[in-house]
Amino acid sequence: MTPCAVTTGFFTLGKCGRMAVAGCPACGRAICADHIAEGGQCPECAAARNQLSHPAAVAAQRRRAYRHRSAEQYADTVWYTSFDSYDRAAFDPNAGASQDYLDDGDDALVDS
Amino acid sequence: MADGHRAAYLAFDRFPSAKGSAVHIRHMAAELFERYGGGLLCVLGGGDLPAYQREHGVEIVRFTEAVPNLLDRAQAFSTWAADRLAAHLDTLEICHVRDPWSALPALTTDARLVYEANGLPSIELPYAWPMAAPSTLAKIREMEEHCLRRAEAVVVPSYQIKNAVTERGVTPDRVHLIPNGADPVAPDVPRPPDAPGRYVVYVGALQPWQGVDVLLRAFARLADLTDLSLVVCSSVTRSRARPLVRLAENLNIPVIWRFQLPHEEVAGWLAHAELSVAPLTATPRNLVQGCSPIKVWESMAAGTAVVASDLPVIREVLGDLGRFVPPGRPAELSRAIRVLLEYPEIGRDLGDRSRQKIIDGYTWKHARSRLSGVYDLVVGH
Ligand SMILES: [Zn+2]
Ligand SMILES: [Zn+2]
Repeated sequence: MTPCAVTTGFFTLGKCGRMAVAGCPACGRAICADHIAEGGQCPECAAARNQLSHPAAVAAQRRRAYRHRSAEQYADTVWYTSFDSYDRAAFDPNAGASQDYLDDGDDALVDS
Repeated sequence: MADGHRAAYLAFDRFPSAKGSAVHIRHMAAELFERYGGGLLCVLGGGDLPAYQREHGVEIVRFTEAVPNLLDRAQAFSTWAADRLAAHLDTLEICHVRDPWSALPALTTDARLVYEANGLPSIELPYAWPMAAPSTLAKIREMEEHCLRRAEAVVVPSYQIKNAVTERGVTPDRVHLIPNGADPVAPDVPRPPDAPGRYVVYVGALQPWQGVDVLLRAFARLADLTDLSLVVCSSVTRSRARPLVRLAENLNIPVIWRFQLPHEEVAGWLAHAELSVAPLTATPRNLVQGCSPIKVWESMAAGTAVVASDLPVIREVLGDLGRFVPPGRPAELSRAIRVLLEYPEIGRDLGDRSRQKIIDGYTWKHARSRLSGVYDLVVGH
């Protein structure tokens, strides 16, 4: 049997491993009956094509589209536009502290 | 998912990972999702982590775009997260965030905001990004304040951060102290098969403010204890540890390096060590911002005595159940380690009492129930 290759788990990740019944047409990975999403795709590929949002949620989004605070407007929020190129330059990869010392992934801001 | 989600947890942090923050996220998010019968988890991906997962009621989406500049990346994450939240605007009741990059998109919703401030980027960022100008950090601080002040509740792990947060204008009644926790390690946890006979252990990341270099220099003064090794369980990769590995070689110290161990294996290393060391330095990061070092919590949970820098953030966790030395002083650190090794019964007693303190009030279960109390307050309004 071909095991389902979809990643599962919350903290410790593993492969689903149930018997696969199909292959994802987009990425080719084997998927079990439980993990087949829209279009016969694996959940990751379906999500990448935005095919997982429930119709109700999409409708809600449309209803709210006029709102000033919608996601579309979001990129224009004052907070990020207040950073100019001078501010940003300090966060270029080559501007980091000795890379050797950085945490795994320099996106890690906090090691509490 | 028949409807939109009622709860979302957002973090500009990779999850899961070998770091302490991942343990923290797991417990806090679990409490939120249990309360709301599922929810949306927006975190950073990368490596082998899938971009999308659905686990019972929980949807996990990971930001995977490779954006080299950190600020650009934070902005891209915020925009991406706002898009993820947009599908749930009608149902979302609560957003729990860990940083301003996550708080900004959460503020585009009507959900109540719970801001878990484990650190403050305006203080923390310059350590990794020394070129950041004061004027830039001032803008980040302004952004931080904006988010913190709009939060219904701010959750902090230590008094130090509580002070930093109230200094940013959050009224004290909205700041809730939830110390980190640890789960007591079973007394019969197996000794790691590759463990040396007698060893001192350090667990954690390797940034300069962790003081691992001080520990190495202290260990160089214990060369006469030929049966003693130093084990460093680092949350980072081998290549990131290179300067410290080199320093250890130059000092001729027998260090056993373990990189990115799974969290469950760290418990065995802690429990069978003679003692654990938390050599944090006296930097603003540790003194002003504050932190709640998970390594100290986990050492206590393993029943292993801790020798630590005498900093308020560590006193807050350990109380008087540790051996304290002035930060940044290898000679004093080596002396404290030596004394504790010479009087193992004192170490055992400290370890036992530390473990009991965890069991009595600082397990993750305790932390989760404190968080649950904060949610009660927030939704009760
Ligand atoms: Zn696929
Ligand atoms: Zn499957």
